[in-house]
Amino acid sequence: MTKRAARLFFFVSTLLSALIFTVLTIDSHRQFPKLTNAAAIDERVVAGKHVWHRENCTNCHTLLGEGAYYAPDLTKITQQRGAPYLREFLKDPSRFYSEQRDGRLMPTLALSDQDIDNVIAFLAWVGRIDTQGWPPRPILVRGSAVPGVPAMLGVPPPQAASRDPVELGRAAYNATPPGCAACHSIVPGVNIVGPTLAGISATAAARIKSPDYRGKARDAEGYIRESILDPNAHVLTGPTYAAGGRSLMPADYGQSLKPEQIDQIVAYLLTLR
Amino acid sequence: MRYRSQRVAYPYFVVAMLLFGLQMVFGLLSAAKYLGPDPLLNVLPFDVTKVIHTNLLLVWLLTGFMGATFYLVPEESRVELYSVRLAYVQLWIWTAMGVTAVVGYVFRWTAGNKLLEQPFPLKIVIVIVMLMFLYNIGMTIRASGRLTTTEGVLVGGLACTALLYLPALFEFDNYTVSVFYRWWTVHLWVEGVWEMIQGALLAYLLIRLSGADREVLEKWLYVIVGLTFISGILGTAHHYYWIGVPRYWLPIGGFFSALEPFVFLAMAMYAYYAMRRSGLVHPNRMALHWTIGSAVFSALGAGLLGLAHTWPAVNKWTHGTLITPMHGHMAFFGAYVMIVLGLITYALPGLTGRSDESRETSVGFWAFWLQVAGMFGMTMAFAAAGITQTYLERILSIGYLETQLKLQVHFLMLVATGAVFTLGVALFLWDFFFLAGRPVMAVPAPADATPAGAAVR
Repeated sequence: MTKRAARLFFFVSTLLSALIFTVLTIDSHRQFPKLTNAAAIDERVVAGKHVWHRENCTNCHTLLGEGAYYAPDLTKITQQRGAPYLREFLKDPSRFYSEQRDGRLMPTLALSDQDIDNVIAFLAWVGRIDTQGWPPRPILVRGSAVPGVPAMLGVPPPQAASRDPVELGRAAYNATPPGCAACHSIVPGVNIVGPTLAGISATAAARIKSPDYRGKARDAEGYIRESILDPNAHVLTGPTYAAGGRSLMPADYGQSLKPEQIDQIVAYLLTLR
Repeated sequence: MRYRSQRVAYPYFVVAMLLFGLQMVFGLLSAAKYLGPDPLLNVLPFDVTKVIHTNLLLVWLLTGFMGATFYLVPEESRVELYSVRLAYVQLWIWTAMGVTAVVGYVFRWTAGNKLLEQPFPLKIVIVIVMLMFLYNIGMTIRASGRLTTTEGVLVGGLACTALLYLPALFEFDNYTVSVFYRWWTVHLWVEGVWEMIQGALLAYLLIRLSGADREVLEKWLYVIVGLTFISGILGTAHHYYWIGVPRYWLPIGGFFSALEPFVFLAMAMYAYYAMRRSGLVHPNRMALHWTIGSAVFSALGAGLLGLAHTWPAVNKWTHGTLITPMHGHMAFFGAYVMIVLGLITYALPGLTGRSDESRETSVGFWAFWLQVAGMFGMTMAFAAAGITQTYLERILSIGYLETQLKLQVHFLMLVATGAVFTLGVALFLWDFFFLAGRPVMAVPAPADATPAGAAVR
């Protein structure tokens, strides 16, 4: 090969690569609105994006898997933890985490309520971007999607193994959304953000008989269903369960889940011992 | 050194080395924070130390590139620099920008876009400095009417660096679009046009150090840069996984990223054969170490460790884990840090009026081997942490925080090997500032005083 031929190789291959890249970029722009649900980008989302940049969030957290690796990925965080919790968390992270227990703590950012709402709106929009099935399994902040299962036994498949309602409920419980497992463990004594659901049927049966119970449920199944659909029907006192008498659990599962999904999750929870 | 104006490279190297030292402080601080609890949580949290660590790297490498260019262009074009004064003014503005950025980050003045955190006014300053620099170089080459291939590739790489910084000036409301264009700057810098710079500096050093035939080396330089762009431009696709872009970027990213190791392998073979043919005769053996080191370490770090996680089926699990800094640290060190240190080591005897043999000090060798060993150890620590994280957090779906607590031993390893690396850097700085001598005022060596094989062809 002569130097002339080498130069020609350089120019032709570079130009050709750049040309293909440009064409693909134009085509990507054509598809961005649909893939990113761009119609849902409103003022709050844009303002939230500014908060995200201003507070340098990306230099600890990842979003869409991009950023720094010092803090959890936040791509699906609003589907896992919900706005009521995130609002309280962003006001004072040290209420929920401690350096002694978790090794790390997010500094308190002194955000205004408006900033907090905006950044949650931004994260909620990000959570609905078409990420081609990523992450393949939920990335959790704390806890485990398969609590109580020793690693050596292998992981139950994230999809339901059969059409049995209990099995379908187990899969839904561990999926994001709805993200039940991101806050509730099924191991006795392990409370992540919400209380453990181990032995919930017995606990529920006892709870509705207690004099300070304020809900309308008549049995354990009714209590569990009521807790999912209306978390404020009976608010438990726990270190991270509620703020100002209101539960930190999202109150919109009645809209976001189908009735049969709720039936399945209830059926699954009733089996927990 | 043949031309008086090449001396302007020295203050550039001084600034680069000071910022390199500072980068280590913030790197060690960031690594120590992984061990937690963090006594500086409310004073200097991780995001601040990390942003300073990465930005100092970018700034000092660019300072090194610019110094190297000011050293190389007069020699290649056989003419004095167009304006030495402009080069000094540029350095002052550039350094002031860098210091302002670092101080700004401490006080939380940031654009918050990974690696492009420079606030908008500082981005404008960067563009102005780039233009001053390119103008100075362009006028120098124009005055001489002589442009060698090596110098052409170098200046082309620097001009494209400036051009590709422009997307960073725009803001997009759609986060996916903003990520899409962020990679035009970041990826096309480090896996595109900076490789032009690395290739050109490597070619220059090989021509000078090995005395190998310029025509042959420059021919292969074209081939290497051509291969870089074939794999690098469409290889941008490996950053377009899972971020809300069309699905076709996945196979494109997989295929073209798989070609990238060949580019680095070609570069390593290029260096090896050039050295072998000429029999390693150059007396500046430290410069030889850094030059060959750069070719080998970039093949490992950028080539192989890049490929370790760019295949879509692998990246699905490793995306956003500590596997990324495993690759990032060794790639940056091999491809860019080592080549700049190589050029500084090569240029120092000329700049300080000493003999080439004078660079062969035990401090210099310790600096080299401690950095190599430290970086190798850090890469291993990140790899062990990243693989464990991928398994526990991504495959078993165990919580992020619980997983991080299980990685503590690897973070201890990271801090320890990072300290070894920092010691190597400290010795390099010691050598540079206290043992290499001060720059000479007069041009000492007539053109025929350089080794015969290294003469300009």
